[in-house]
Amino acid sequence: MNVRREPGLVGFTLHVLALAMGRVYMAGAHRLRVAGREWLPSTPPLVLVANHASHLDAVALASVLPWRLATRSYPLAAGDVFFDRLGRSILAAFLVNALPVWRRRPKPADFAELRARLTEEPCALILFPEGSRARDGRMQPFKAGVGMLVAGTSVPVLPCFIEGAFAALPPGRRWPKPSPVRVRIGEPLLFATFDNDKAGWIATAGRLESAVRALAGGATEDPP
Amino acid sequence: MIDVAGIAVQPGTAWLLGSIVAALLAAPAAIVVTGLRGRSPAVRRELWQRYVSWLAIGGLVLTPLLVGRTATILALGLLGLLCYREYARATGLFRERITSASVALSIVAMTFAALDHWYGLFVALTPLCAAVIAVASIPFDRPKGYIQRVGLGSFGLLLFGSAMGHLGYVANDTGYRPILLLVLLSVALNDVFAYVVGKSLGGRKLLPATSPNKTVSGSLGALVLTAAFVTIAAEPVFVGTGMEPVARRIGMGLVIGALGQAGDLMLSSIKRDLGIKDTGVVIPGHGGLLDRCNSLLVVAPAVFHYVWYFDGFDLDLPRRLLTGS
Repeated sequence: MNVRREPGLVGFTLHVLALAMGRVYMAGAHRLRVAGREWLPSTPPLVLVANHASHLDAVALASVLPWRLATRSYPLAAGDVFFDRLGRSILAAFLVNALPVWRRRPKPADFAELRARLTEEPCALILFPEGSRARDGRMQPFKAGVGMLVAGTSVPVLPCFIEGAFAALPPGRRWPKPSPVRVRIGEPLLFATFDNDKAGWIATAGRLESAVRALAGGATEDPP
Repeated sequence: MIDVAGIAVQPGTAWLLGSIVAALLAAPAAIVVTGLRGRSPAVRRELWQRYVSWLAIGGLVLTPLLVGRTATILALGLLGLLCYREYARATGLFRERITSASVALSIVAMTFAALDHWYGLFVALTPLCAAVIAVASIPFDRPKGYIQRVGLGSFGLLLFGSAMGHLGYVANDTGYRPILLLVLLSVALNDVFAYVVGKSLGGRKLLPATSPNKTVSGSLGALVLTAAFVTIAAEPVFVGTGMEPVARRIGMGLVIGALGQAGDLMLSSIKRDLGIKDTGVVIPGHGGLLDRCNSLLVVAPAVFHYVWYFDGFDLDLPRRLLTGS
């Protein structure tokens, strides 16, 4: 499973069905509400970054995107978690439409490929720069990988804050509890002037982290 | 589950089937012999892989044929969809979702028409589905790439809907099994003849830019040998029908020999244009589905109409099985 995977008719149909079911589920079980939808561009490319404390995060974000963006969106999922075994790989690829990110065996060529896909396809990428779900619900520092993707490009990056997902499905729990989830979308940021090197990536990650923390201001879970 | 009584009634099935099975069983002996002649282990391994794949192909192809008419038509419809999928991936058409979906649905519709034994619908679907393919992507207001997607889609419709569909339609005749076995076997042998004759005689290349390994001698040799094979093998199949005269059987053999090679060259042309070696990796040792099915696609409609014109079959099963009153 690699980042060059492009879904065919069957994959597309399954993804659309999964998106539809996800929307119904989030609206029904979690009364999903979104603020800041006006910040979303009407067409790709774009990148969404958010805090990560629950498996519901990707579903919530995909559910708040308008259909035209949602069908062209790819969450980036940890390769060692979601693409290690064949069955899970198939689910992650066909239902979630995820692309792998290899955390312990990073492949620099993958990021170059993802950057190209963003602008050429064009598509929307969803990623969680914390790298893994926060075990205690508190936001962890953002890793530099997000910079490898967007530093030096003019792709808008929208910070998002997901509230309530940790309470509904924290890491370790098997089934989610029906409780409200809210998504806040912030103003898009551009990183065209940031350097595409290690310093630039760290700066990018830092900028995005403070943007997401600012969005969190006033939430019950994460102190800003 | 296997319609043994039906098989017994159709002349020629038993011995065609028998010869296929015998060939598949005898092949390992041939491989062992060439192995003893000191070929490299890599070549031997490739030969074994090809052989095992042939066994699998034989099993997968023969099983629906033996089970019955519905299984045959559905299996060929599925094969058409799978071949189309490979084609769409290789050409990039799969990215044009609405056009690609139109082609896939057309293939399903044509399979349904064959299953229903509704020839009028089957014939009508070709131009009607072509119109759908032409029109489906217009509402998206993206004229860039229009000719390419409609052209690729129409080509796919013709090959995997209409041509493959003709093969399935043969199953609407009670004597369909030996005819299909004959066509499948002779198309496969055509390739083998071309290869063997070409390797033995060598000589001038046929079309070096399109297919560097084909020779003129191989091509002519295949034509002659396939015609001979079909003339002999078709005798028990068509006894008592309009295809019994030798001249007509020779004609059928020539049609299969010529068009089988044309189908091969068609696929080579597609691959050269795209810059790829195989259309897929599904079949170990052979490449993709298209690499194996290409000759069949060009042969199928021609043989269907040739045999029908000379009253080689009646398509005598009841019509409008599903939709009729």
